Amino acid sequence: MLEVKLHDIGEGMTEGEILHYLVKPGDEVKTDQPLVEVQTDKMVAELPSPAAGIVKEIIVEAGTTVQVGTTLLYIEAEGSAQAAPEQPKQPEEPSTAPVAEKQESRPFVSSFNRVLATPYTRKIARDHNIDIEQVLPSDPSGRVTEEDVYRFLEQKEAPAVAVAEKPAASTAPAASQPTEAPEEIPFRGLRRQIAKKMTKSLYTIPHVTHFDEVNMTNLMKLREELKGAGQSVSVTAFFVKALVIALKDFPIFNAELDEENEKILLKKNYNIGLAVDTEDGLIVAVVHDADKKSIKELHQDIKRLNEQARAGQLSSKDMKGSTFTISNVGPLGSTGATPIINYPETALIAFHKTKKVPIVNEQDEIVIGHMMNLSMSFDHRVADGGTAVAFTNRFAGLIEQPNTLMLEMI
Amino acid sequence: MVVGEISQERDLVIIGGGPGGYSAAVRAAQLGLSVTLIERDKLGGVCLNKGCIPSKVFTYAAKKKAEMSHLQQIGLPAVEGTFQLDQLIAYKSKVTEQLRKGVEALCKANKVEVIQGKAGFTAENKIGVEYGHQFDVYVFKQAIIASGSSPVLPGGITETGKRILLSHNIFSVEEMPTHLLVYGSSYISLEVASSFHALGAKVTVLWEGAADFSFDESVNKELARLFKKKKIKLIKQAAIQSAEETAAGVHVTLQAGGKEEVLEGSHLFVEGSRLPNTKELGIGRFAIEQTEKGFIRVNKDMQTSLPSVYAIGDVTEGPLLAVKAIKQGKAAAEAIAGERTEVDLTCIPTIVHTIPPIASVGLTEQEARERVGGVRTSKFNLGGNGYAAITGKRDGFVKVISDASTDLILGIHMIGEGAVELSSHFVQLLEMAAKEEDAKFPLYAHPSYNEGLLEAVEGLVGQAVHAVT
Repeated sequence: MLEVKLHDIGEGMTEGEILHYLVKPGDEVKTDQPLVEVQTDKMVAELPSPAAGIVKEIIVEAGTTVQVGTTLLYIEAEGSAQAAPEQPKQPEEPSTAPVAEKQESRPFVSSFNRVLATPYTRKIARDHNIDIEQVLPSDPSGRVTEEDVYRFLEQKEAPAVAVAEKPAASTAPAASQPTEAPEEIPFRGLRRQIAKKMTKSLYTIPHVTHFDEVNMTNLMKLREELKGAGQSVSVTAFFVKALVIALKDFPIFNAELDEENEKILLKKNYNIGLAVDTEDGLIVAVVHDADKKSIKELHQDIKRLNEQARAGQLSSKDMKGSTFTISNVGPLGSTGATPIINYPETALIAFHKTKKVPIVNEQDEIVIGHMMNLSMSFDHRVADGGTAVAFTNRFAGLIEQPNTLMLEMI
Repeated sequence: MVVGEISQERDLVIIGGGPGGYSAAVRAAQLGLSVTLIERDKLGGVCLNKGCIPSKVFTYAAKKKAEMSHLQQIGLPAVEGTFQLDQLIAYKSKVTEQLRKGVEALCKANKVEVIQGKAGFTAENKIGVEYGHQFDVYVFKQAIIASGSSPVLPGGITETGKRILLSHNIFSVEEMPTHLLVYGSSYISLEVASSFHALGAKVTVLWEGAADFSFDESVNKELARLFKKKKIKLIKQAAIQSAEETAAGVHVTLQAGGKEEVLEGSHLFVEGSRLPNTKELGIGRFAIEQTEKGFIRVNKDMQTSLPSVYAIGDVTEGPLLAVKAIKQGKAAAEAIAGERTEVDLTCIPTIVHTIPPIASVGLTEQEARERVGGVRTSKFNLGGNGYAAITGKRDGFVKVISDASTDLILGIHMIGEGAVELSSHFVQLLEMAAKEEDAKFPLYAHPSYNEGLLEAVEGLVGQAVHAVT
C-alpha cells in the first residue's frame, strides 16, 4: 500500500488546502496521473500518482487545509493487489499498525530535509551566526559552498558590525547617534523560489542581450481604430501574435537545449510565458498554443491570466509549459534591461516604455513617432547574434506594419 | 532543632552515565568545565551493559559460526563440539567489564567526579542524590539529563522470566533456546532472530503489523529471501494475546489473520517499546516541557525549556539509539561551554547486524521517487565483487539512489558483508552533499568490498565494469 502525501511542490510551502480529488476509491490510476488538486498560497497544483494501481482510501476530506507531509490517500500499487482479498474486512487496522511501527524504527526519515552543504561549510555559517538555509547557492543543484557563505557574509558585513556595536553604544547612552537595527524580511516562499530559478538560469545559460527599437506608430493608430469600433485589444496581444509568427520563421528561439543528450529540441508548441509582477513577486503565466489563437482570443487569455495571477488563482497548468517568455515592463517605464532567460528556454524579450519622439520618416521629414525599445536575451550556446537580430527585425516588421498580421489570421 | 540542608556547589551535573552522559562529561571536561556525573547503576548504561555491546557479542559469535563451513573450504580444520552458550556469556561479561573499566578510567583521567546514586531534582537548580541511607544535595549552574529509557511490555504480555525475555536479558539467557519466538520487527528483533538462528536455534518471527521490513524495497526483498533460505519463519499480523512460561518452554496465544492460534516455543523474545526515565527525576514540578509519553523537549542545542537544564539521548524525542545520544551529549557539552553546535540526525545510519548485515542512509528509492522528479538508481550485486568471491560472502548488494537532474546522491543502502564498516562512507557522501562524480572519482582499494560502492555509483550512468545490464 502506497501512501500519497502532500509534498512541497516547490515554493517552500508548508501547508495546502485540498480543493478536490480527481479520483475516488476503487479507481484505477496510472503513474503520474493527477490525483488531487491542492491550493497553496500562490497557486493551484495537481499531485500526480507515484505509481500505477488502485485508489484504496481517501484520508483527508476535500476542503481541509493540511501540513506538508500529511497522508492524503492510499494507493494499492500494481502487483501487490493479490494480498488484498485475504483481508477484505478491515484494511484499517493492519495498515495503521505498520505505519506506527515504521515511525518507531525510523522516525527521522520523514523529515529528510537535508542541508546541501559540507559539514565544514555548515560550521563556517554556524560560527558566523548565519542560517545556512538563507545562503543562496551558486551551484544549480542547490549545494552551498564555502564561497557562497563568505559572499553572503560580505553582503551582511555592514549590518553585522552595527549589531555588534550596539551593546557598546548602550553603555554610553549619551554618545552619538544610535544605530538602527535593519528591518528583516523573511527570504522564503516565492521570493526564494525566484532566486533559485534566476540563479540556475544565469549560472547555466551564457546570456547575451541585444537591444532594438520598434516604431509603434501604426500599431497605436490601429488600436485607436479598433477602439473606435468597440474592440479594445491590448498591445501585449499583438506582441504575442507577432512573436509567434516570428518564432515560426526562427524556430531556434522556441527551443530547449538538452545538453546531456547533445540535442536542441525545437518545440512544436508555441506557449508564450508572460512575466507578471504580483505583490509577492514575479510569476510566469502561460498562454498555451498561442499560434492557434486569434488576436482577440489572445487578448482575452492574457487578461484572464493577469487577473488570476494577481489574485493568486492560477492553476498549475497556467504556470507551466512555456516555450518562450516575454516581459512587458513598458507600462511601468524603463528604456532597457538585461533580462534573465526563463530556464530552460532559449530566449526572452522585455518590452519597454513607448515614447513619443521625433523621428525621420521615409520622406526625410521629422515627424512624431511612437518608439519602443526591446531587450532580447538569448542563449549563446544555441543561437548567435546575427540570428537574434534577424529575428527581432522580423518581429519589428510585423509590429510596424500591423496590417501584415492580417495575413496570418487563422 | 532544625537540621539545615547542606548543599554542595557544582558547575555541571550530568544525570546518567550511559554513552550520552559520559561522552558529554568527557567533552565538557576537555573544554575546561568541572563535571559531576551521577550514575545509579553501572557506567556505560544500557548500551554497554545490556544493549548494544552484549547484542554485538552475540551477533559477532553468530557471524563466526556461520563462517565455519566456508573455513573448511579453505583448508582450516573443522572445530569439534557444539556451541557453548555459557562460555559466550562469560566472554560477554569480560568484554563489558573491560569496556566499563575503560569508561571509568576515562572519567578519572578527565577529572570527572563520578557519584553513585539515584538523582532527582529538588529545585530548579538543585539535584538530590540518594545512595542507601545517604542523601546529598548539589546546587548546579547547568545540568544535563541523560537518564535513558526503560523497556515496556506490549499488550498481552504481563511478565518476563527465564523464558520470556526482553532485550536487556536475552543476552544473558541461561540455556540455549531450541525454538525461539521473536516478537518484534525493528533492528534488535532482526538481530536476535538472525544470530540465535546461526547459533543453532529454530526461529519464528512474529509481527504485529502487515508491513514489510522497513528498509529500501530491494533490501526488504533480499532480507526476506535470505530469511526464507535459512528457514526463519515470519508470521505477519500476529498479535500476542497472552504468553505463559511452562516448565519446558513458552505457551503463546496469538491472533493471526483473524484466527486464534497457539504457538509453543522454548523461549520468547519480546522487543516491546521503551519509555523515557523521567518520572523519578521529579521534573514535572519545574518548567521542563515534556511530551505526552514523558520525552523531554529540547532545542537544537539540546536545551530544555528550563535554560539551565539540557537533555540528551533516549529521554529526548527521536530514535532511541546510542549514536544519537553520543552526538547530542557532545553537542550539549559544547553548547554549555559556549560553542555553537548543531545536531542533525538527517543522515543517521540505520544499522542491523544480521547475517549479512544491513546499512542504510538517506532516502529509499520509494521515498526518493515521492520527493524528486527524476531519480536514478543502481544496484551492484556482491556476486560481481572480487573480494566477496574470496571470502565466499556473495549475498547482497549495494544500492545507490541519485537525483537525475542534479546528480546529487540521495540514498545508499547495502545488505552484505562489510555494510557496517562501509556505512561511514555512505554517511560521509550524504553529509558532503556528494554528487555522483564525487563518489566515482576517488580510488577504491582493490580487491575490497568498497568496490561494491564504486560500481553501484558507476552503475547509475551504466558504467559498472563488473555488471552486465
